[in-house]
Amino acid sequence: MPPSEPVATSAAVPLRQPLHLISCASVLLVLSACGEDHGASFRDELGLAADEDGLRAPPSRIHAPPELESLATGQLGPDGEPLRAACVTCHSIPGLAPELELRAEDVGPPHEGIDFQHGPNGCAHCHDPEDRLSLRLADGRSIPMTDAIELCAQCHGPQYRDFRRGSHGGMRGSWDAERGVRERNHCVDCHDAHRPAYPHFTPMPPPADRFAPAGHE
Amino acid sequence: MESEEGSALGASMPPASGGHEVTYPRFLWRILSRATDGPPLFYAWMTALTAVALVGAHAWATQTNEGLGLTGMGDHVSWGLYIANFTFAVGLAAGGVMMVVPAYLYHDEEMHDVVIIGELLAVAALVMALAFVVVDLGRPDRFWHLMPLIGRFNWPISMLTWDVLVLNGYLVLNLHICGYLLYMRYLRRKPNPRWYVPFVLVSIVWAVSVHTVTAFLYSGLGGRPFWNSALLAPRFLVSAFVTGPAFIILTLRVLRQATGLALPGGPVRTLVNVMRITVLVNLFMVLSEVFTEFYTGGSHVAAARYLYFGVDGHAALVPWIWTAIALNVGGAIILLTPALSKRPHVLEAAMVMVFVGVWIEKGMGLIIPGFVPSTLHELVEYIPTRTEWMVTAGVWALGLLVFTVALKAAAPILRDAARAAQIRREHEES
Amino acid sequence: MTQSTTSRRRVLKAAGATLGAAAFARAVSPVIDFASEISAGEFFQKHYKELSPEEMAVVLRRLEDETQERYGAEVTIRDIRPRENTQFGYALNLSICIGCRRCAEACHVENNHDRATHQSYIRVLELRQGSIDMEHGDATYEHAVPRAGHFYMPVQCQQCDNPPCVHVCPVEATWKEDDGIVVVDYNWCIGCRYCEAACPYHARRFNWHAPEIPAEEINPDQAYLSNRVRPQGVMEKCTFCLHRTREGRMPACLEACPTGARVFGNLLDPSSEIRWVLANKRVFVLKEELGTRPRFFYFFDE
Repeated sequence: MPPSEPVATSAAVPLRQPLHLISCASVLLVLSACGEDHGASFRDELGLAADEDGLRAPPSRIHAPPELESLATGQLGPDGEPLRAACVTCHSIPGLAPELELRAEDVGPPHEGIDFQHGPNGCAHCHDPEDRLSLRLADGRSIPMTDAIELCAQCHGPQYRDFRRGSHGGMRGSWDAERGVRERNHCVDCHDAHRPAYPHFTPMPPPADRFAPAGHE
Repeated sequence: MESEEGSALGASMPPASGGHEVTYPRFLWRILSRATDGPPLFYAWMTALTAVALVGAHAWATQTNEGLGLTGMGDHVSWGLYIANFTFAVGLAAGGVMMVVPAYLYHDEEMHDVVIIGELLAVAALVMALAFVVVDLGRPDRFWHLMPLIGRFNWPISMLTWDVLVLNGYLVLNLHICGYLLYMRYLRRKPNPRWYVPFVLVSIVWAVSVHTVTAFLYSGLGGRPFWNSALLAPRFLVSAFVTGPAFIILTLRVLRQATGLALPGGPVRTLVNVMRITVLVNLFMVLSEVFTEFYTGGSHVAAARYLYFGVDGHAALVPWIWTAIALNVGGAIILLTPALSKRPHVLEAAMVMVFVGVWIEKGMGLIIPGFVPSTLHELVEYIPTRTEWMVTAGVWALGLLVFTVALKAAAPILRDAARAAQIRREHEES
Repeated sequence: MTQSTTSRRRVLKAAGATLGAAAFARAVSPVIDFASEISAGEFFQKHYKELSPEEMAVVLRRLEDETQERYGAEVTIRDIRPRENTQFGYALNLSICIGCRRCAEACHVENNHDRATHQSYIRVLELRQGSIDMEHGDATYEHAVPRAGHFYMPVQCQQCDNPPCVHVCPVEATWKEDDGIVVVDYNWCIGCRYCEAACPYHARRFNWHAPEIPAEEINPDQAYLSNRVRPQGVMEKCTFCLHRTREGRMPACLEACPTGARVFGNLLDPSSEIRWVLANKRVFVLKEELGTRPRFFYFFDE
């Protein structure tokens, strides 16, 4: 699946140097994924919280989970792969689902049966009531569904900070920024947005040690 | 002039005049061929030992070919029966010094006459110790890696390199002393003190170092709290001074029975006196360890708890250690009760008791608990396999073969000792 | 004694000696089989640190041929040296490790471990919350994870700065490299297992048998000091996947971790993630009182 655009790395920005800050912000503006002018301030506020001293998140490609852009149909397509319907297919039709439901149980097909356990939140806490393709931040701004990490980060700051600093969330690739990039898991890859508690795993088999049986010859 | 048959010790001796023509290598060859002569009982003994040694050799060869997986060891308990016996054998070698000290430092004449037995025991026990190390190696074909200057020798940091040096050095030392004395006796020449007395004095210190270094192998490991005790080296030495004299006393008894030689009785009395002290000190040291472990408690005591009482149903070593304690205590009681220790058969039983008791306590009762529980506090038990028992028996047989051959070679000296004892007795009577 | 008695005795002795020699040869024949499989090149091979680049190239070709012969797999074995200005460090987040053992499994596959014993350098302990006393730990759990009231601690070689295993090796078959990784020369090790006794972290593994791996499962991208197929009778241990990490890639265990509990990097790089963890999280090491100075750090988020 195609990687999403690279996360703009926030360069070291000693806040005392305005020139540096302005040029960095411009770079971030240019590279920011969404069209709205909130990218620089968002990343500055959250990304630099603990690291004024030259730390930057290494070049990473964050995986784009299909759940943010499409819905599983349960059927197989002509290529034998599971068929998914893009959100925009239905939600570009004006007037479709005019009211945002209050509770997950009230959602009708094709989204019925959402298992919701995400604290005291309701649908409107995250979803933009006007636009099903968007999410709504706490300050009222709308962001595309594909920018969901920003939404997660506004409440789960410590985890987001750890995610940027590499101590939360799976990664693959290079530890050395000079020799390669790395691929990061998106929040939604592990945490279902409606039921984010990390699932239980069946562990891999335990070690088969050479315990001393009664002779093994 | 003794005949070839009849005397277990005897073969014909060279005439006094032609002695100086026999070179040292030729003398060694004569010893070996002399070792193949004897009464039927001797042949039975040597054949049995050879058979056991061959069984052990085959088991070891199979183990080398197919891997140490044929043993009961694993990544949790990675040393077992072989290293347990190695530790014990080093102690036995060091214990020979308990004859040397009275003989050379205290000028005990009777002891001086038979001291060669202790030195030959050291040789045989060292051969066993080195053999136990070799059979425990995963890659004995890479033995040359261990040689100084040829391989890479991590001296002085690795205690194992110290052990290689002191064990081989002690072996060479005793081979020289015994070889020189036996050679001189064969040539009927008076040995020159300059060629052996300094080496003997060095061997006294070296014997202590041999067992101290072996103890340091274990006691220096911070990750193994059961071994990481300052008392380990003293314990090793004291228990060596129990088993060495015990084995020597048994040897003297066996020699007396088998050869009919009237060896002097003084050495046995001296050794019994030595053992009266060492067996008590050994028990005291065990008590000291046990107190420190159990009174302190915490996870530090886990290995000791496993050894003495078992943990969570794992109790494989419990019968062993309590048997060892019973044997050591019983042997001590016999030694300290003159009425009992005076009686030869009871004394011999006591010797066997403390010998086996220390073998258990110092071998399986020391090495295995060092690994149980593991460094990640996992409880994995160890039971030796048939392969290990066969190889161990084979190495013991090898040691006894070497010892028997050596004693045979020392026959003239022992006969001198018997004669000297007889003369002393006649002097006292007159 | 008569002449004939002596000569009869001599004949009997000679017969006995011959019989004994034959029996001995028969008894030790497995060792002859074992020795015959060792080439002269292998027997006389010098220590890793003494091999010139040309000699090393010869050794690597020989090892590749041997792997082809014994396992039927085409492999590439390289000698990958440490990079300058690199000191590896590894941290593990105990708050998010769920004990799924995918790291142990990835190690098993990446490092060409014996299949029968399902060997791995990583051992995951399930511990009760409230205490890191490993005496109540369990490495053999099989239930769904994470289990309520418990947390998980994977343990592997700590690549100590003061490594007891290196101190005790009598032949210098194991040593600490310039980038901090403690390595083993599998062709120099004599298998005495003193290092295994000395290691306080159960990090060392011994090849009690020759490893058995199907040809198609062998990872062909190998290095001399890390994941080449090891011979019988020698020690081995985690090498922080030096065949990957020295080329900038992450260790296999880290890539397999689904939660991202593992953090790896260069301690000399102030902007590295490992440095951030050490500066900003409550970090501890195992058995610190032993003075081993591990390079493997554990931390909690809260």
